[in-house]
Amino acid sequence: MRRLVPSAGALLLTGLSTVSAFAQVKAVPVLEGLDNPSGVAIHAKTGHLFVATHPAVLRVAPTTPAKSFVEVDAFKTDVYGKGPKYDIGPLGVALLGDEHLIVGDGSLADAAELVRVFKIGANPPAQPTAADNAAFKLGPIGPGEASAKGEGNFYAIAVGPKAFYITANGDDTKGWVLKADIVDGKPGKLVPFIATKPLVNVDAPVGITMSPDGKQLVVGQMGEVNMAGDSQLSFYDPETGKLIKNHATGLNDIAGLAYSPKTGKLYAVDYSWVDTKNGGLFRLDVTDSGVKAEKIVSLDKPTAMAFDKEGNLYITEFGTAAEGSKTAPGRLVKIAAGL
Amino acid sequence: MPQCSRVVPGLLPEAGVSSRPPGRHLKLAVPALLTLVLLPGQVPTQGADAQSGHPLGLPAVVAPKDNPQTPAKIALGKQLYFDRRLSADNTVSCADCHNPAKGFSNGEQFATGIKGQKGGRNSPTVLNAAYQTFQFWDGRAGTLEQQALGPIANPIEMGLPLPEMEKRLNAIAGYKTQFQQVFGVAEIRASEVAKAIASYERTVLSGNSPYDRFQQGEVEALSEQAREGMKLFFGKANCAACHAGPNFTDNAFHNIGIGMDKPEPDVGREAISQLEGDRGSFKTPTVRDVARSAPYMHDGSLKTLAEVVEHYDKGGHANPWLDEELFPLKLTAAEKAALVKFLDEGLTSPATQDHAPPKLP
Repeated sequence: MRRLVPSAGALLLTGLSTVSAFAQVKAVPVLEGLDNPSGVAIHAKTGHLFVATHPAVLRVAPTTPAKSFVEVDAFKTDVYGKGPKYDIGPLGVALLGDEHLIVGDGSLADAAELVRVFKIGANPPAQPTAADNAAFKLGPIGPGEASAKGEGNFYAIAVGPKAFYITANGDDTKGWVLKADIVDGKPGKLVPFIATKPLVNVDAPVGITMSPDGKQLVVGQMGEVNMAGDSQLSFYDPETGKLIKNHATGLNDIAGLAYSPKTGKLYAVDYSWVDTKNGGLFRLDVTDSGVKAEKIVSLDKPTAMAFDKEGNLYITEFGTAAEGSKTAPGRLVKIAAGL
Repeated sequence: MPQCSRVVPGLLPEAGVSSRPPGRHLKLAVPALLTLVLLPGQVPTQGADAQSGHPLGLPAVVAPKDNPQTPAKIALGKQLYFDRRLSADNTVSCADCHNPAKGFSNGEQFATGIKGQKGGRNSPTVLNAAYQTFQFWDGRAGTLEQQALGPIANPIEMGLPLPEMEKRLNAIAGYKTQFQQVFGVAEIRASEVAKAIASYERTVLSGNSPYDRFQQGEVEALSEQAREGMKLFFGKANCAACHAGPNFTDNAFHNIGIGMDKPEPDVGREAISQLEGDRGSFKTPTVRDVARSAPYMHDGSLKTLAEVVEHYDKGGHANPWLDEELFPLKLTAAEKAALVKFLDEGLTSPATQDHAPPKLP
């Protein structure tokens, strides 16, 4: 039975906004009432946004007001965290060309989770596609030499010309970035590619993106959620997986990374588990000697980010529920082009 | 939520006593297994990095800008560390609970403070505390300087109020002279006492182990069984999920189930963070020189490394806040033995420096 997302159809473009230290930068709500949104991707041709939430993947037409539709549903539910706890389902999303949507799963136990690739159209489907009806199912990666307990929590995805890469958080001794080659526009086998933990000594690759020239795979290493300031930024050769450079950032928990298509600058969202009031959007100025992180705007538990081709930035937030509220507090927000 | 009061840094009993630092314990029994950080002009210890002087396998120690390392300050801190006059009844020094001869812990489940008092946590080792981002098992102090005075003032540890400590030290001519020379102060203050002790502790390092030499290409440094154990440590046994990096710790907090079967478990980090998800979580200790620091865990409840391996093999004690990295490992008897071998043979440092008690003023 297909389930509708609580907020499917609920949308908004209100005047409410979060004002940063840079007064001109405002995060304006596009869609509210989302249930733990954790991924966002933008279709290059249509401009449609795909948003991963706990129960389903939504398609959002960025009109005013925005309109949302359920694209994929019928995911199972897993729970993340020990207090606070969050229901999670599909976690990461990315476009593979114009006709396929990659969805990383967090709805099952480690060693059982899949990366699914769905066929999509230019318009929302008449009926949501069930999670089980993916055009391609990659994985699972079970217990074995590469991963003691098997892989899971496939969080964020970066798509290159020859392969796509997805962060995983199953085996914390390895901290795998997984890879699937792309052949004739179709995904190949999902395989462990970069064991990040032995290289950078902290856990949890989460945010990931490709450099504008496609020559570097950029990974945000979240680190421990109960440790402040341990997030790192790593650059790898996407062909070989070799570590090019790694820097401390001083951020608490990098959850998403993206380059501005207009300025080439790199941005990160910091969830900041230890003190969510410090979460937000940061610009990362990277040099050979280190990273300077400058806060652009505060956000409430940001989880993922994506620029459209005009340079508008869309960010998902878990948000914080008001006392006694039964409405899901998650949001999709937009920062107008200019970053 | 449990009834936990917010803790004032440095004023909670750590292990039951203590001397120093919280978060560290050492235990062992060899007169010295540490190497000292070298200062300008000193000769590198055997096995140390030839350029920086710090032991093989470890990064350089970074001291706070307002408390740079100097030989005189380190020597002063060492005297204070070993001086029982820093306790209310002159019976307990930092070194009594964090004893160099016992791996900078004390070999007991809970150390004994003044008047025979005992706390509820095992004395954490001071070894490599220089690299930790949190001190004490629950991480309530962020630096060695912040941590240093806590056990001195703690009523069940050394029990000496800081004003009284200052008064005592100011009455000792030798200390007054040294503080004047090191810090340029006419009167000894607690803040400088903390800085001196912290400076000494930054010299208590464990590196240059067979594992480190193996990593440098000296294949014979590890026996075949230890090499098998090393492979398990970083693989099937999942140890490196938390015991990672040069100091074999992620500096984070985890619930591994220890003590969670008690009627009123120690909530650990939750008392500091106020996050339910931290309930029963404690700081990941280094496992360098771990063979010297029995008993193990924050409550000292496991007596041997074999018991530790058994605990992890069964996936810890089930509880609602158990870390997700705990799961049944299904290790064979041979694998368990190899893992213990690696922990013992592979991570034990040579005795390269003597941390014998100094002459006190």
